[in-house]
Amino acid sequence: MELNDIISSGLLELYIAGLTSPEESLQVEGWAKEYPEVKRELGSIEAAVESYAFSESITPGVDVKDKVMKAIEMQETNTIKAAPASFRNEMKERTKVYSLPPFYKWAVAAGLILLLGSLAFNYMYFNKYRSASTDLQVAQNQLQSQKQMTDTMSNEMNVVTDKYTLPVVLNGTPHAPDAVAKIFWVKNSGEVYVDPTNLPQVPEGKQYQLWAIVDGKPVDAGMISTKKGVYHIQKMKSFGKADAFAITLEKTGGSPTPTMSEMYVMAKI
Amino acid sequence: MPEIKKYNEEELVMLLRNNDATAFSYLYDNYSSALYGAVYKMLEDRELSEDVLQEAFVKIWNNFTNYDATKGRLFTWMLNLTKNLTIDTLRSKGYKKQSKIQNNENSVNEYSDKTITAERFDSIGIRKHLTLLKSDQKQIIDLAYFGGYTQDEIAKKLAIPLGTVKTRMRTAISELRKILQ
Repeated sequence: MELNDIISSGLLELYIAGLTSPEESLQVEGWAKEYPEVKRELGSIEAAVESYAFSESITPGVDVKDKVMKAIEMQETNTIKAAPASFRNEMKERTKVYSLPPFYKWAVAAGLILLLGSLAFNYMYFNKYRSASTDLQVAQNQLQSQKQMTDTMSNEMNVVTDKYTLPVVLNGTPHAPDAVAKIFWVKNSGEVYVDPTNLPQVPEGKQYQLWAIVDGKPVDAGMISTKKGVYHIQKMKSFGKADAFAITLEKTGGSPTPTMSEMYVMAKI
Repeated sequence: MPEIKKYNEEELVMLLRNNDATAFSYLYDNYSSALYGAVYKMLEDRELSEDVLQEAFVKIWNNFTNYDATKGRLFTWMLNLTKNLTIDTLRSKGYKKQSKIQNNENSVNEYSDKTITAERFDSIGIRKHLTLLKSDQKQIIDLAYFGGYTQDEIAKKLAIPLGTVKTRMRTAISELRKILQ
């Protein structure tokens, strides 16, 4: 449409009266942006209507203003009084953005309850899992030590029951008449095991030492471990041949030669 | 014409956007008579028109952020808001009921034989002002700007084709502008 046609169409007058369809209104607003003449024309129409309205003014009753002012004052007290309009509008918009249809509100609420419930169960089960895990660890450790004991005993039994094993009882000397020890000498392999169970308690800083008498001379056969007061059948040094075995009490770590006065048990083969 | 203004329109709009009650009081003082005149043209009942005017100003205050200064003058926006509110009042049942009671009370009233509905616009009085304006031109301005009639209704009312409403409007406003100059 030509500019003159737009201006003389009558559409601008209807637009100011609010009587144009939404499509027509958009069209007029578009023209107003595009043509300064249209904008100016619209302004002139508005000014004429405004003047006409003012010329036909009627003063309303004086109490109307009081009512209006009281009404807006009441509304102000009901809203956030100190906040500027822009902020309040922003608040309104925010509320709009976050408000959900009732169904979703319930759905969200239900979801939250489920989530919290789930978290509580998770916490509970995690604690249970942790204590169960600890219990399992303890049980496994016990089992492990039991197994070690069994293995040890099994090995000891193997030594004792081996068909090549020669059991030798070492009897107490006059120095220690009650002392007894046993040697298991596996003849085919030369392995020597000692069972110190019936030796007297070892004094502090002392240790039993096993000797093999080979060709009339005492040879160190190893130190006997008596840790924590528990005596186990334990493996000593191996000997192909020996005339006798003896156990003396020596200083911890052992001596190169046996202290004859401290001999507790001995046996000749 | 409005009284000598303390604020120009731009300042007034800015203050009202920030909910300035003093500016609003000023707005009321300057525009209430013109708007009341417009409401009264439609309702022809002082008390009811005052109720509508009061409601209109509260709405202006509450919805002020809806006013877009780039789209037109402040008065145009307020006039159309007030006009729509008046039309709503005319259509509401409460209004009809209240009017009937009122009519019974004032049976000698010249409108006593009529129900107050949109039908009442049949009698648009001759305005005292702008006597230079031809009555048919004044009529179309009143119908369009102060009557709440649609284009269609105006055409029917004036018994003219729909397409002619625009050109008649154009002529009437042009005439008004000439007189005002």
